[in-house]
Amino acid sequence: MGKMEDRIDGRNANQLRPLACSRNLLHRAHGSARWSQGNTIVLAAVYGPKAGTKKGENPEKASFEVIWKPKTGQIGKQEREYEMILKRTLQSICLLNVHPNTTTSIIVQVVGDDGSLLPCAINASCAALVDAGIPMKNLAVAISCGLMEEGSIILDLTKSEEEKLKAFAYLVFPNSPLTVIPKVPLSKEQPIEQGIITSVTRGAMPVSGYFDCMNRGVAACAAISEFLRRSLQKQSSDDTSRAA
Amino acid sequence: MEQRWANAWRPTINEKQFIEEALRSEIRVDGRRLYDYRRLTIKFGREDGSSEVQLGETHVMGYVTGQLVQPYRDRSNEGTLAIFTEFSPMADPSFEPGRPGESAIELGRVVDRGLRESRAVDMESLCVVAGKSVWAIRVDLHIIDNGGNLIDAANIAALAALSTFRRPECSVGGGDSQEIIVHDPEERDPIALTIHHFPIAVTFAFFSEGNTLVIDPTYKEEAVMGGRMTVTMNSNGDVCAIQKAGGDGILSSDVVRCLRIASLKAAEMTTKIKEAVETYNAEVALKKVKRHPLLVAQKITVPDVEMKEASFEKMKNSDGDMESSPNQASTSRTNTNASVGRPKIWDPYSTSAPSISSSQLPGTVCTSNEPNEDQIMQTDEESKPDLRNDQISNATGVSSAIHQENSPPKSLKDAVKPKNKRKKNAERIAR
Repeated sequence: MGKMEDRIDGRNANQLRPLACSRNLLHRAHGSARWSQGNTIVLAAVYGPKAGTKKGENPEKASFEVIWKPKTGQIGKQEREYEMILKRTLQSICLLNVHPNTTTSIIVQVVGDDGSLLPCAINASCAALVDAGIPMKNLAVAISCGLMEEGSIILDLTKSEEEKLKAFAYLVFPNSPLTVIPKVPLSKEQPIEQGIITSVTRGAMPVSGYFDCMNRGVAACAAISEFLRRSLQKQSSDDTSRAA
Repeated sequence: MEQRWANAWRPTINEKQFIEEALRSEIRVDGRRLYDYRRLTIKFGREDGSSEVQLGETHVMGYVTGQLVQPYRDRSNEGTLAIFTEFSPMADPSFEPGRPGESAIELGRVVDRGLRESRAVDMESLCVVAGKSVWAIRVDLHIIDNGGNLIDAANIAALAALSTFRRPECSVGGGDSQEIIVHDPEERDPIALTIHHFPIAVTFAFFSEGNTLVIDPTYKEEAVMGGRMTVTMNSNGDVCAIQKAGGDGILSSDVVRCLRIASLKAAEMTTKIKEAVETYNAEVALKKVKRHPLLVAQKITVPDVEMKEASFEKMKNSDGDMESSPNQASTSRTNTNASVGRPKIWDPYSTSAPSISSSQLPGTVCTSNEPNEDQIMQTDEESKPDLRNDQISNATGVSSAIHQENSPPKSLKDAVKPKNKRKKNAERIAR
């Protein structure tokens, strides 16, 4: 790539904002996590699995509900869409047959919004699910990629960048499958083999641009998943059991 | 609804008896004394007007926003303050998403009465044009962890958020002087709200038919208690609101006792909040001062990374030149090494230098350790751009560029010194 022009906040195109993740912050929730990417901060809490499923859900499987809490004001259409995307994303990474006929609630509270809100929320709720001990196939790692005018890709967008860019994508990838099921062989060479879990794009972009985004996203997600795993392992050593 | 209640935590009979029995001998389950508050921590967000309050296990987030609106008819020269409480299902499994429940409404009302109806926040200063536009302040209180006594925690969160909130400055202007101009925060400093006093809510819980009185009940105690009373007072001892919605009756002498305790606690809490706000404000002020140089520093250091070695060498050379005796130079060299980066930013003239030398000569730097007469002259001249700078640097090119950046540790003396040097050099050139 060589030299790229700097972005407003002084990062280069491939640089992510500083990541931070802390878990087990709330006392009443069964699992909770706070994930921050720069000034975008999301707090996620998990309750469950609780008995029974909602109407319209398959009682043979574990079901999920996601409640999105904006920082201020009422929940709008966009938040409802985020709820739905988040729910389906999490459903696809969890083992649904372990607790049939149960509901797990994930509550997402936006603490700060500076772009890449949905990826941040996905990372936070993933960490919260781990904290609550919900059985999962693998972790999901989300990233936002933006397509610049001249065709180059920038990662981890801020809010002003999201408004300015003509097209951007939120991509979610699974990390290497070794977390819960020990049987699956650990293959570090191909960390993302099962393909993309979720892709939300905005604006028009050429096909090649989208694939560029994918490639960059995979590389960035490998880095984030490494960070996530490290922070999970660090904190799992001092995890204590909590009252239900 | 049914299912939500099934999720609520309810104490078993044993737990209930344990808590009550312990209270009878003035012992509380978390080891506090009867009139002790839990640990209070107040944190602030990265932007103005957001706070996070932790009172023991209770966790509340406050967030204040402002908006220009048309005022109410009957109060045309006053702004508005509205409090929205959000009992997030995050806090407690029994909290329902969507519409606020009974306790959420009660909490909102108690905080509202304490803050707004006691006129703690000055409303008239929020008016921009009477009858036309005023500021509407909205306080969002997110309960994110229910450890009991939400009212007190929410009240503190609201106060903390309000006292750090800054609204952008407004002025009336335009052709017909009817237009409202909202000034950018970068342009004019935003204004804080005027808060006359801090109404602090203090909640008491009663046990065993009002015989035992405790302050700041936890959620376990709340599940057992017979009644509750919230007294909102400020540090002057004024009662701003009292809320006792049914429950066990208590003697009026107990109410007086409650008021006395509450006024003490209110004073205590007020100082705590003010301290926290002050530290936050100091931090913000510090950030404002720092911000500029930091940005500049980043911009300069990023492309110059490979240059570091070169600049070390330059320093050596320039020291040698200035002192014109190699022994002295070597001693001063060690001193200056520590401050390699800094003078670059301070010296406004040398900013153009690094880019030239880094692009042109990474290799030649090392070879020109021996200072020679020509270089000395050019060095000193080039650091002053007003002196035929362009011609010299173009003519002599590579070797002179190394010495452009004279960066010994700067002091006030240095600011004066070069002038003399320049004269000397001019003389030398004349010769």
